[in-house]
Amino acid sequence: MNPDANLAIILPEIVVAVFGTIVMLYDCFVPNSRKTTAAVSIFGLLLAAIALFWLWLFAGQSVPVSAWNGMIVTDSLRLSFSISFLIITAVTILVSAVWVEREDVPAGEYYSLLLFATVGMLLMASGNDLVIIFLGLETLSLSTYVMAGLRKTDLRSNEAAMKYFILGSFASAFLLYGMALVYGATGSTNISEIAIKVANANFPALLLIGGAMMLVGFGFKIACVPFHIWTPDVYEGAPTPITGFMAAGPKAAAFASFMRVFVLGFPLINGVQVSAFLHDSWITALSIMAILTMTFGNVAAIVQNNVKRMLAYSSIAHAGYAMVGFVAAGMAKTADKREEIIAAVAFYMLAYAITNLGAFAIVTLIAEKNDRRTEFDDYNGIGFRSPLLSFSLSIFMLSLLGLPLTAGFISKVLVFQPAFEAGSPLLVFLVVVAVVNTAISAYYYLRLIVVMFFRERVTEWENPKIPYSLATVLVFAVLGVFYLGIFSDGVIRLFKSSPSAFQLRVSEPSVQPSIDMTKAER
Amino acid sequence: MEPTLASYLALSGILFTIGAVGVIFKRNAIGMFMCIELMLNAVNITFVGFSRFYNDATGQLFVFMVMSVAAAEAAIGLGIIIAFFRNRISVDVDDASILKN
Repeated sequence: MNPDANLAIILPEIVVAVFGTIVMLYDCFVPNSRKTTAAVSIFGLLLAAIALFWLWLFAGQSVPVSAWNGMIVTDSLRLSFSISFLIITAVTILVSAVWVEREDVPAGEYYSLLLFATVGMLLMASGNDLVIIFLGLETLSLSTYVMAGLRKTDLRSNEAAMKYFILGSFASAFLLYGMALVYGATGSTNISEIAIKVANANFPALLLIGGAMMLVGFGFKIACVPFHIWTPDVYEGAPTPITGFMAAGPKAAAFASFMRVFVLGFPLINGVQVSAFLHDSWITALSIMAILTMTFGNVAAIVQNNVKRMLAYSSIAHAGYAMVGFVAAGMAKTADKREEIIAAVAFYMLAYAITNLGAFAIVTLIAEKNDRRTEFDDYNGIGFRSPLLSFSLSIFMLSLLGLPLTAGFISKVLVFQPAFEAGSPLLVFLVVVAVVNTAISAYYYLRLIVVMFFRERVTEWENPKIPYSLATVLVFAVLGVFYLGIFSDGVIRLFKSSPSAFQLRVSEPSVQPSIDMTKAER
Repeated sequence: MEPTLASYLALSGILFTIGAVGVIFKRNAIGMFMCIELMLNAVNITFVGFSRFYNDATGQLFVFMVMSVAAAEAAIGLGIIIAFFRNRISVDVDDASILKN
């Protein structure tokens, strides 16, 4: 078979991986070069972003839209999510700069781990094959396990890393078993081929079991109920900048490949019983999970007294909102509609990521050494004493809540509107639940604002010095929240403008010659 | 008698179940980790079984990927467990109980 190698199509991934290695080696030879390593990492991400835009412009012309025998594709799903990943990592590096300095973290290892995690995320979005998705997921997960436990002497960090590692690899094993069964049922690991072969699967029962197992694995990664148990503990125990990264990046990456496998890999093919049954099953399962996730995340967030824990439950709830879009994409009738909803979900993850990273930047700064101050009480009355911090944190909370003019509002509208308009009673019910939940979430987001501005401070408060890197993040995040909130059209149009030759099209069912059993038995 | 596809699947299913049950009931982090490895290897058997059934190399290729990932996972997992052990002198997951609601 022709290897169909094409390095251009994976240029962003290569650039990030090379820079991860450079950063790691640079730190070996020039120790204590924290600022340089951070700058080199950001430079690498910038180059990768340029490579990505180059792909955006030329995919389908000088670069093929699909190479490596269909293992890598360049479609709107990949491009829109990939640009979000690069932004997320760059912002995380800027947030971490202050923390790396404070905690005396080995910078080379830390930044290279972040970059390798980014390679994993990029592969998860670009992979059109179960092998690539699995490898990307593991590259991402293994880096994140280490980063969660980076503070080796801290008991909470140890515990977070261990819980994350054990439960994460447990979930990966389920995902992998699901992949094996889907491969067994369809005879292929390529998602476009699976979408065709679902129509005449050799073992329909295995296809269903495999789909369910993959649902467990991906559900763990996006932290939806009932696979969310690890989330609050890990988010609380992990170092704060990493928590921000985990809530933004890996979740979005898991959404990207989750949607690719389920929406594009298990489509509804008219008149084929197996595919209809499979499609119905995963739509129903995901709808139930979405309802549970939204409700549980918001209700549990109300009773939290730790800000990081509250943000962890809030991230569970946001995964639930995004899942409404996911279900709507799965039920979309036409390819255009599907593409539009997927772009909306990508926009949702980007808006959530920017808001969340901004909030975590402030939490990192206020937490001080060893994450000492992360309780709600530590935010008492800081409102007018540190106006810059408290006002920007308030903006982020209002955006997470979904106040008009902010990114959080428009992203919710973009995800819920097509779901509402689709006319299916299930989707309408999901949207109603989501809106009720948004109302519930007002309690804990506003609580933080109330705590900051209207409570008396009893302990002393010293206005923390805001380093340049963190100031950049705050400016970027606040501007981003308003930019996405007001000028969302341009971003959405960009996210939808995929290379025309390879739209997110579900292949029409074609009669495939079934596997020659006599040959196979041999 | 030549093993059929069903026997591969049965073996892998049984091994996977043993692994999953072990992860749920074991309290020792190393033991849990061994059970996870058992689950991964059960998946490998499934892949090899289907690969033989279809006469298609993709499944075997996947097994190589799984093996290398499992090796990386072992290195990282044992590192994390050792870091935990240094601070607690224990690898019992019930001792991991600071972070709670």
